[in-house]
Amino acid sequence: MELANTLRQDGESRGGVLAHLERLETQVSKSRKKLEEPQDAQALEARIHELKRLRDKLRAEVKRRQARVKASTANVEPDQTLEINEQEILERKQENVKAILQAYRFTGISGKLTSRGVCVCISTAFEGNLLDSYFVDLVMEKPLWIHHHSVPVFIPLEEISAKYLQTNTQHFLFVLCEYLNAYSGRKYQADRLQSDFAAFLVGPLQRNSLCNLLSFTYKVKPEGQSLPFCARLLYKDLTTTLPTDVTVTSQGTEALPSTWEEQRAAHENLFFTKPLHQVFTSFAKKGEKLDMSLVS
Amino acid sequence: MDETLAEFFRRTILKIPMTEMMTVLKTWNFLSENQLQTVNFRQRKESIVQDLVLLCEENRASLNDAAHLDIIYTQFHRHQKIWDVFQMSKGPGDDIDLFDMEQFKSSFKKILQRALKNVTVSFKDAEENSVWIRIAWGTQYKKPNQYKPAYVVYYSQTPYAFTSSSQLKSNLPLLGQALTVASKHHHIVKMDLRSRYLDSLKAIVFKQYNQSFETHNSTTSLQERSLGLDINMNSRIIHENKVEKERVQRVTQEIFGDYPQPRLEFAQYKLETKFKSDLNGGILAEREEPLRCLVKFSSPHLLEALKSLAPAGIADVPLSPLLTCIPNKGKNYFKIRDK
Repeated sequence: MELANTLRQDGESRGGVLAHLERLETQVSKSRKKLEEPQDAQALEARIHELKRLRDKLRAEVKRRQARVKASTANVEPDQTLEINEQEILERKQENVKAILQAYRFTGISGKLTSRGVCVCISTAFEGNLLDSYFVDLVMEKPLWIHHHSVPVFIPLEEISAKYLQTNTQHFLFVLCEYLNAYSGRKYQADRLQSDFAAFLVGPLQRNSLCNLLSFTYKVKPEGQSLPFCARLLYKDLTTTLPTDVTVTSQGTEALPSTWEEQRAAHENLFFTKPLHQVFTSFAKKGEKLDMSLVS
Repeated sequence: MDETLAEFFRRTILKIPMTEMMTVLKTWNFLSENQLQTVNFRQRKESIVQDLVLLCEENRASLNDAAHLDIIYTQFHRHQKIWDVFQMSKGPGDDIDLFDMEQFKSSFKKILQRALKNVTVSFKDAEENSVWIRIAWGTQYKKPNQYKPAYVVYYSQTPYAFTSSSQLKSNLPLLGQALTVASKHHHIVKMDLRSRYLDSLKAIVFKQYNQSFETHNSTTSLQERSLGLDINMNSRIIHENKVEKERVQRVTQEIFGDYPQPRLEFAQYKLETKFKSDLNGGILAEREEPLRCLVKFSSPHLLEALKSLAPAGIADVPLSPLLTCIPNKGKNYFKIRDK
């Protein structure tokens, strides 16, 4: 050691190498001592036993733990079902939210965000009947523009969007909604008249795309000799479902009974105030009442 | 029945293919069920046609009835004609359009009859409040030529009218005037849009060709559909340019959408531009006059063909806006001039 210390003062490299060599030397002498000890066979055997015992103990422990894990997984069923329940709850919540989003249709205006903006759905209705839905796909850029839509070509979409789309989008949607709902309502009335009350009509129902001009000849009683009336309904306001102009006239030039004028005026009033199919429903009901009175 | 009328009936019925004969006759609804049963449809076509013409004579068929039959035949074979599109416009302060079909028809007919003494005008109401008009043109001195009629299809309360290209171009201004006045518009302009496929033209100008909308009710995911297209599912094949393919697919879908494209047969580009060259001098650079050139793309289904160009690797994406703007602008005839 003294040698090493003195050497360290001289030069570290040399001290390093020499110190290393010294360590190796001591190692060798130690191992030689160990080897010189009598190889005690018994001691080795004892060591082997010891190791075997340790191995068996560890193996048993492993088995015990595996069994415990199996048992605990069987017992952990309540835990797992808890997890499944949570998943079900979340799924149910998700479906609930989806259903609410779908149900927004019933408010009349709903929408879904798209990658470029929003797709607005206008669901029209009349008298509690859900009718056609129309879509407007808006691109949220400056300026706002319509990518594509399902609004019929005869609805003045260009006019409405020119007026309101940029300045007041909410109002644009509101006005469009008004037009579409009114159109749907008028169409519904005309369709109802053609299908449910065809027996009251003499000849075809004349209509146009917007259903804002209806011209038809009708009788108050489907069969029998009641005189026909000619009706002409104009809907000058495209946001309404009731006509703005009603003209009821006679078909021919023959002499008319005195009651006819009263009836005519009453009919005109009916067409002004009630939806078309309801007017004919009331004709049908009156007809039934008359029949009943004849029977009794 | 008049000789010429009988001949017209004969030729009109002869045009109808045998496979459609019953359907057309039933749609026409002029000959009764009983009358049709008396005809032996197993004979040679000429004989069948003769029998049918005799039945028409029995029923005292008029020129109007013959015109009706001609309209029905044309409706069944609309692709045999090439259709032009006209756009009408109203004045700024015009009232709400209270379209009365009967008024329209009588006004239209009167305008034509006032201008040309000899003209046959027939109408047939069709779906969606539209009307098919057949016009056989004559002159002051000649009777109308029933074999070269013009057809007009008009949907009420819309600014568009579709006309079959008539050989007699001189009557076009009169036709335009009649349409405009009868439908209560002020101006009429011919669009640069033409095709055999009437329904496609309607889809383009009415903007009905893209009817896919995102709603909370729709279940198909757009990504699923587009990616499942070309990528081979065999795991032993690795697509080196998968990323590029997906990009092309995505951009094509953005431009052309998921919907079936309206059908057009061609797009025509007329170029009238001056020659532009970076090099000074050269013969063409000196030219004051613009160069004229016509490029025409033809296809049985032009827009589907354009849509498949980039995915097929033939063209780079995005395609030129001159090609992709066709349905949006409602044009398949372009004139490109120097600005």
